[in-house]
Amino acid sequence: MDPATSSAPINGDCETESHSLWSWWPSWRPTSMSLLKTVETKILACIQNDLWARFVTLPNQDRIWTLTLTNKAVLKPAVPKTPLVMVHGFGGGVGLWIRNLDTLSRSRPVYAFDLLGFGRSSRPPFPSDASKAEQQFVNSIEQWRQSVGLENMILLGHSLGGYLATSYAIQYPSRVLHLILVDPWGFPEQPKTQPDDNPGQGAELVKRPSPPRWVKIIASVVSLFNPLAVIRAAGPWGPGLVNRFRPDFKRKFEDLFDDDTMTQYIYHCNAQTPSGEVGFRAMSASLGWAKLPMLQRVHQLPPSMPLTMLYGQRSWVDSSSGYRVVQIRNQTHTRVLLINDASHHVYADQPEEFNRVVESICNSVN
Amino acid sequence: MFPLDSPWNISFAGCGFLGIYHVGVASCLLEQAPFLVLNARHIYGASAGALAATALVSDVCLGETGACIIDVAKEARKRFLGPMHPSFNLVKIVRYMLHRTLPADSHHRANGRLGISLTRVTDGENVLVSNFNSKQELVQACVCSAYIPVYCGLIPPTLQGVRYVDGGISDNLPQYELKNTITVSPFSGESDICPRDTSTNIHELRFTNTSIQFTLTNLYRVSRALFPPDPMTMKAMCKQGYKDALRFLKKNGLLDFNGPLRDRPLLAHENEDYNDDEEEENKSIEEEESPHKEEREEMVRSISSLEEHIIEHLPPILHKALVEACMERRSLVQSLSNLLPVRVASTIMLPYTLPLESAMFFTLRLLEWLPDVQEDVVWIREQILRIVQRILQQASRSISQHVSARFSYQLELHHYQSLPYQLSSTNLFPSWVKERSSSVQDIFSRLNQYKRHLMSGILCINMDLQGSFETGQMPQNNSSLSILSTEGLTFETGCANIPPAADCSDATSSS
Repeated sequence: MDPATSSAPINGDCETESHSLWSWWPSWRPTSMSLLKTVETKILACIQNDLWARFVTLPNQDRIWTLTLTNKAVLKPAVPKTPLVMVHGFGGGVGLWIRNLDTLSRSRPVYAFDLLGFGRSSRPPFPSDASKAEQQFVNSIEQWRQSVGLENMILLGHSLGGYLATSYAIQYPSRVLHLILVDPWGFPEQPKTQPDDNPGQGAELVKRPSPPRWVKIIASVVSLFNPLAVIRAAGPWGPGLVNRFRPDFKRKFEDLFDDDTMTQYIYHCNAQTPSGEVGFRAMSASLGWAKLPMLQRVHQLPPSMPLTMLYGQRSWVDSSSGYRVVQIRNQTHTRVLLINDASHHVYADQPEEFNRVVESICNSVN
Repeated sequence: MFPLDSPWNISFAGCGFLGIYHVGVASCLLEQAPFLVLNARHIYGASAGALAATALVSDVCLGETGACIIDVAKEARKRFLGPMHPSFNLVKIVRYMLHRTLPADSHHRANGRLGISLTRVTDGENVLVSNFNSKQELVQACVCSAYIPVYCGLIPPTLQGVRYVDGGISDNLPQYELKNTITVSPFSGESDICPRDTSTNIHELRFTNTSIQFTLTNLYRVSRALFPPDPMTMKAMCKQGYKDALRFLKKNGLLDFNGPLRDRPLLAHENEDYNDDEEEENKSIEEEESPHKEEREEMVRSISSLEEHIIEHLPPILHKALVEACMERRSLVQSLSNLLPVRVASTIMLPYTLPLESAMFFTLRLLEWLPDVQEDVVWIREQILRIVQRILQQASRSISQHVSARFSYQLELHHYQSLPYQLSSTNLFPSWVKERSSSVQDIFSRLNQYKRHLMSGILCINMDLQGSFETGQMPQNNSSLSILSTEGLTFETGCANIPPAADCSDATSSS
């Protein structure tokens, strides 16, 4: 491991500097980094392989919470296997990979980290410019890679992580041996407000009732706030809100935790000071479209870099953009796979199938 | 690919007036893949979904159902304030329409196949009802499932002696977690059959199991669930349902190619036909599974042309019914009241007419309510009693917890202080002081007992206070009696004197 890597034990200091003036004031939101740590520890206790969890400090003093999983039981192969690096999606954290980490780390080291501004990583301010925000994310990934000391990797990104992984692979193509995108966000371009002059579809679009003005007004008011401001504003009712409106997370991990550990984890990940959220908001326009859609840039990926896109069959992410990517890129190195009966959180809905597919992709690398 | 080797279910989400979407979906399923409906093990529904499921199970003409929904929507839109106007009695209309459209033996067909999601009022738990003894009961179940509290009324209806309200409150998409359930929802999200909005929003929420993506159109749809849009929009929604269902069938390779060739009217299937239908279906599926590639491509082409054709025209019966329902408002009175002066006049008069109308319709409702008054009043009284009881329980519990927590804290203090005292006493004092000390111990143990008593109620506070005063007094007597008292002991008395005072203030503040 690189000597530059500064590692802290799991029990190390993880409290952010509290506001000394207001520290006596009871918090409106029942959350803190230590609560997040407690819940995460509970989740990570399920892992059976060797787990090394620590903060990786970047040159600019940002800290990235990193998990490294290795399987000591297997004899070390002569040629070390390329590690798999997993990047979570919006509002998530390393804990969401709990059903995949063990299986995937059977044959090769697996790295998972909390993106800058999410989970337990540092929460710095983000610029409001789309490309600058994206650059800050990508820089943090590259600096993280340098600090950890990885030469190259198989990069897997889910949702927002998929978008950032693609952006990273465009800028640092030599580091990525295979790019795996799971239900990636930010690929399609926002359609023009005027319907295309395509006669068949255009007529249909015109017929569809456009939302009335008040809906648009509400939407524009909502877009003034950070996406998850509601959860923070709800204060003590926040955990209840998450439980009420995302019971699916609880169900997805039902066989591991029969209480609401997972929803608590999601809550504590997102109820803290918004940072990655701010970055996400900078990169997205009007309710979720990417300001700089990937479909316009995906041709910048080197044609020789293999790319696999996994989509949940039931997910709201449209797999058609995957097929567009196939059209844009060299077909031999691009694959689109649909996973049956899986929603947006493919890895949690169908973990066996997901792990099988990812493992076979990894084995195709080395 | 949708697995057909094991039994499957269909589940319709609750969605208020967007139920018209379900009609479109149902008609598509019936027309393009009837086996999917006829051989489904269960058809579930909540709220408006329950109405659609009932219609589907009891072979009601879907055109009629669609027309009914549009009629209700028109009724709701007729007045100022829309469905909130006192003259609009949704429950009554729904009941009347169900009675009119459902065939007499509908409960036989629904028994065991139809599952209606209800929310039990007493505990808020979800109940899936699938046994119906009469048509009356089936209708009542539908009414219960669509009964949105406050919006529809204040006193929940009963089914088989139990009060229920809208199923959407506890489970809006029954049995969605089963792998073989085809979920139908008019809100774009992660259901099997749902509209696909062109949006890439990451945020999604689950309203009692229904996945709703956070998009502009969904926001609009949610607002329209209780305040119906105009008939033309509803018709477009119906069409959207048809289109989405078709897309689902196409994606899963379930399109029944042989369907159109068979010249049997779809709605005339009888129970006896089910079995041989199934065999036929199985055969056709097997045939579908193993065609050559070219054939498949040809089929796909034919489907796409078929699809275009369908998008232009809904199934003729449905289309005709919907168009008729939409067009009906050309009557003389309607067109008169649509004239601008009349509308302006009625708007100006609103502050005067509204209270009058309200009063009138409330009396009407009261009259209609008369037969049920006794039962309902008994229920209301029970509810109020229960609420009062619960409030009292909670209040007493929280107070006793408060008090006992304080006392246990203080008791710990006592124990802590007693320890060094005991030690010193054994070394320094004569036996009678030791006896005294044991009596002090006694008091502590008695205090502990009191603490246990405390759990049972608040009444023990007084006794406990006495106890703590005694502890305070005890060592004082001690010191006055013995001249040999050491610093340790006087210190002890000083300390022991403080808690009772604190006790007093605590007790008073908490009681």
